[in-house]
Amino acid sequence: MEFDVKSTISKNRLLGLWRLLSGYKSIYSAAVISLGIAALSKTGTYMLLRYFTDQVLLDPSTRSQNSNLINQLFIIALGFVALAIMEGGFTYTSGRLAARTAEGIALRLRNYVFDHIQRLTFSYHDKTQTGELIQRSTSDIDALRRFYADQAIGVGRIGLLFIINLIALLNLNTRLGLISILVVPFIILTSISFFRKVTKAYEAYQEQDAVVSTTLQENLTGVRVVKAFARQEYEREKFEKDNWEKFLRGRRLLMMHSTFWPLSDILCGAQMLGGFIFAAMMVINQTISVGTYLAYAGLVVWLIWPMRNLGRLIVQTSTGLVSYDRVMEIVKEEREDLITGNSILSGPVRGEFIFDKVCFEYERGVPVLENITFHCPSGAVVAIMGLTGSGKSSLINLIPRFYEYTSGKIFLDGIELKNYPRAFLRRQIGIVEQEPFLFSRSLRENIIYGAGRQVTEEEIISAAKAAAIHETILNLPNNYQARIGEKGVTLSGGQKQRIAIARALIKDPRILILDDATSSVDTQTESDIQAALNILMQGRTSFVIAHRVQSVMNADLIIVLDKGRIEQIGKHNDLIQQPGVYRSIYDIQTLIEIELEKEIASAELMHKSIETE
Amino acid sequence: MMDEIIEEEEYTSQINSRTLLRILELTKPYRLWVAGFLLTIMLVSGLDSFFTYLSKRIIDEGIVAKDPNTLFRISLIYGSLIILQALFVFGFIYLAGVLGERIRYDLRKRMFNHLQDLSLSYFNQTPVGWIMSRVTSDSERVSELVTWGLLDSTWGLMNILTASTFMILINWRLALIVMAIIPILIFVAIQFRKKILVEFRLSRKFNSKITAAFNENITGVRVVKALSHEEESMNEFAKLTSQMYSSSYRAAWLSALFLPAVQMISALAIGSIVLYGGLQARYGMITIGGIQAFVAYITFMMWPIQDLARVYAELQHAIASAERMFSLLDTNPEVLDRPDSISDWKIRGDIEFNNVNFAYEDDVPVLSEFTLKVSAGEMIALVGPTGGGKSTIVNLMCRFFEPRSGVITINGIDYTKLTQEAIQSRIGVVLQTPHLFSGTIKDNIRYGRLEASNDDVEQASVLAGAHEFISSLENGYDEQVGESGNMLSTGQKQLISLARAVLSQPDIFIMDEATSSVDTLTESRIQKGMENLMKGRTSFVIAHRLSTIRKANRILYIEGGKIVETGTHSELLNKRNKYYRLYTQQFRHELELEYGPIYTG
Repeated sequence: MEFDVKSTISKNRLLGLWRLLSGYKSIYSAAVISLGIAALSKTGTYMLLRYFTDQVLLDPSTRSQNSNLINQLFIIALGFVALAIMEGGFTYTSGRLAARTAEGIALRLRNYVFDHIQRLTFSYHDKTQTGELIQRSTSDIDALRRFYADQAIGVGRIGLLFIINLIALLNLNTRLGLISILVVPFIILTSISFFRKVTKAYEAYQEQDAVVSTTLQENLTGVRVVKAFARQEYEREKFEKDNWEKFLRGRRLLMMHSTFWPLSDILCGAQMLGGFIFAAMMVINQTISVGTYLAYAGLVVWLIWPMRNLGRLIVQTSTGLVSYDRVMEIVKEEREDLITGNSILSGPVRGEFIFDKVCFEYERGVPVLENITFHCPSGAVVAIMGLTGSGKSSLINLIPRFYEYTSGKIFLDGIELKNYPRAFLRRQIGIVEQEPFLFSRSLRENIIYGAGRQVTEEEIISAAKAAAIHETILNLPNNYQARIGEKGVTLSGGQKQRIAIARALIKDPRILILDDATSSVDTQTESDIQAALNILMQGRTSFVIAHRVQSVMNADLIIVLDKGRIEQIGKHNDLIQQPGVYRSIYDIQTLIEIELEKEIASAELMHKSIETE
Repeated sequence: MMDEIIEEEEYTSQINSRTLLRILELTKPYRLWVAGFLLTIMLVSGLDSFFTYLSKRIIDEGIVAKDPNTLFRISLIYGSLIILQALFVFGFIYLAGVLGERIRYDLRKRMFNHLQDLSLSYFNQTPVGWIMSRVTSDSERVSELVTWGLLDSTWGLMNILTASTFMILINWRLALIVMAIIPILIFVAIQFRKKILVEFRLSRKFNSKITAAFNENITGVRVVKALSHEEESMNEFAKLTSQMYSSSYRAAWLSALFLPAVQMISALAIGSIVLYGGLQARYGMITIGGIQAFVAYITFMMWPIQDLARVYAELQHAIASAERMFSLLDTNPEVLDRPDSISDWKIRGDIEFNNVNFAYEDDVPVLSEFTLKVSAGEMIALVGPTGGGKSTIVNLMCRFFEPRSGVITINGIDYTKLTQEAIQSRIGVVLQTPHLFSGTIKDNIRYGRLEASNDDVEQASVLAGAHEFISSLENGYDEQVGESGNMLSTGQKQLISLARAVLSQPDIFIMDEATSSVDTLTESRIQKGMENLMKGRTSFVIAHRLSTIRKANRILYIEGGKIVETGTHSELLNKRNKYYRLYTQQFRHELELEYGPIYTG
């Protein structure tokens, strides 16, 4: 990132918005200057009209000389065209520069915020709502774009038009100039208060619009329920109510508009007409010339009418300021450091872990893990068991440094984990979750996601085969190109998991973190997944969150966690000898098989007795 | 990439006059309103042109002639007309605006009501998002066209017309010069508007892609981080934003160029007026006021031209919207009540499927020659692999679909001879993913029988096993369930939908059991509720739980659209075939869950 948005943060929002312009300050200033030149050209046009009237049309001396007149007329006509080209050219330049600024800033902000969010810590994401983040990254950034593109420049345009034309008017005649703006403060105030109200009414209208959409959506997604209970009539009435309310709110909004605009028309019209009469009398009294009157009549239009829109811009600007705060609240969060670390290794790690009295807590004073100590040789399989909330996931989350342990030490290959750069460490680790998150892109892209290198088709297919998902993929429309999600295919939990296994195989990490399957997949799938996992674990240090004894029996080390502490640790054969949690789990498994036998036997018996009857 | 973007924007390239007529027909009930806003807007634009003319007369007859009396007289007319015009402005904003809202309302209502009649097959084929866009945005665009679009173009045409008239009145030779330029202006303006519109649409597409990218990267942020995919994600995203940048920058600068371009062309007209007008003034053929009026007319000509161009450019898109909207309204329901359908029939009784064939798509048969006889009060459990046809049997039973061939009879009569209402109002359904509507719990339960009293609702909840958890909530039965019920857990939603079914006192009960595990307490409550509901009723259950399966009078193992195994639990178990395998697996799974919460991760 060449530009650090964080450096622009300021408590003063206007200052912050100014700093956000960094790199565009001169372009944006040029946009404002162009606006000024355009406004000046417009004023120039009316001054030329004045000259044309007084010096050409009404001057008897020029009238008599034919050739002179044609020359003069030609020059004046050219002058009008030139001024129009200037005005148009600079209006366009200003618009283009403002657009470049606004779009450029929006682009920069979007990219920055996107990158920033994905680099924030896990704890930040734990406590932040997804919807809120998306809202801020999209609508609020767009509000900032509009701030630069329309609002700030719009206020500037109206201001410049006002100042330049007012100066011109005052130059024509001071008294006339002052009289012409009597009503302006009044127009601005009414317009601000009107747009405040109308904004509220509009929000109410939008809210109702959301209600209508929700009702419609629920009706559509619940169409089976509606039909099953034959509730079409009821649904119609419900929709009618919401729909009608929206109509009423829309009508209220329109009532406001249809009052404000004509009233302000009368106000502005009266001001104009009053000025015309006053100026006309001055001409009759020979205080000003006819040309001055014409110039005045032209200029005053640009002084009064745009004021009606100033209120709208000012009200909108305040929403831009709110958006600034909302975006900056994200920006000011600290990123996770991915690259610094004392230990710079070139090759892959071996994967030997030592946990030494490791403690961890999410919130101060609420320990989640306490005194975790164990040794895991390179290439070993560590199974972790425990109840929900016993700390299994927390323990595993420490390994890729998703969270930092609060005391104690973890060593990887003899070097403390904190010394490894996070990005390096995470490249060494593959994770297969129980219900992995897949991206709404093709299966192929999901499999190579995170590989960080070019992957050949053969590699993808052999990984998919090893993960026992190749056949399933071939049965889908579009095979590996099938998209996941709304418009594409939906996969079951077990299938998603196998995609994640293929993904991990492609990544080929030294360390593995697995979450064993529990979802009710059929026996065949279950053994397929188990086989795939076994292939995956070969030769890698693996941490497995296990749910059943069968899958941990061959582990090199079994850790049973309870309330953040190690309750039991050892190999299957050792643990089975000791009284404790592990043995009782083991016993239950055996018990289940016995019960099943009983159940089937009794069913057979019953069946036979029915038959013999 | 491009294909995706224009995906929904297919519209006929030329303007379809039949559709246009149909759009205009929407205003039929409101002819007076349309006449009202057309009249007021014409008066407004006529007055606008007249004001410029009055200014001319103020200059010529008041100022240059140095006649204060005439000045005041004309000003008085001017002033009164300002007030009159304000009235008309009020009129057109109100009339066109409210009519726009009204037509929007009408369209939404018509589409919604029509949707209620359409068959389930329509909803299976049509994404919810597509329908939503028709009802929300297309209705907006179409109503916008017949109100503001009609109004703006009338205003624009009237303005050009009246301004031209006054110009001809003032000096017809000069007027001809100006009028020669108008078509050029309109042509240029339309070209611009079209280009701008295309760019805007493109940037809107990118914008929704950007939102989707944010959405995905934020919801999947843990995976992104775990796989160190930050850099690649960023690069992909940057590509998207830079595309967005180019299209919206282009749209913005095209818009910024539009008015100046029109202005510059009209400046040529002003130049000509100065040249010829100056010459003519010498012979007294035009007055100062006349020249001023010409300048004013030309300067403000760009507004009507802008409006005309805008409406014209949007016309095509509005017509495309209308075509999509009308396509929805023209769709006929697949399942229809036959003429002379019986609406009053005893549903409690035997149900028979006789050689029923069914397919959702023509060449993919789902049920073939399916035959089944169910006696009143029997409980049938349907088991078997996904895609085997279990849900289809239920769908046909509810008459969400009708058999392609073969007959389904209820109490001896072919059920297509009954009204849909007669069947569906007597069937209670609990779906696998229970669907609730936003509102209170009470509202949702009452959906089963609208006229039920609070006591009835509570009684039904007690029977369904939902009462206990509901009373433990802060607001009890008045607790809000959130959008689509998302404030509640799946198990709780299921209990509520059970209570809803109980309240409807159905003759036939259909349930699709949830596969996802709920906590043991809720599970046992659901079982209890089901038991109460099934008592004495014919029921079909797509069963996943062993306790449910064991209770069934008959178990059907459905695979490939056929009944592969059928019988009681012990009969089937004894066969040691498909059912046996399914059962033992589920048995292990359930016991594991029951014995050790340790297994639930």
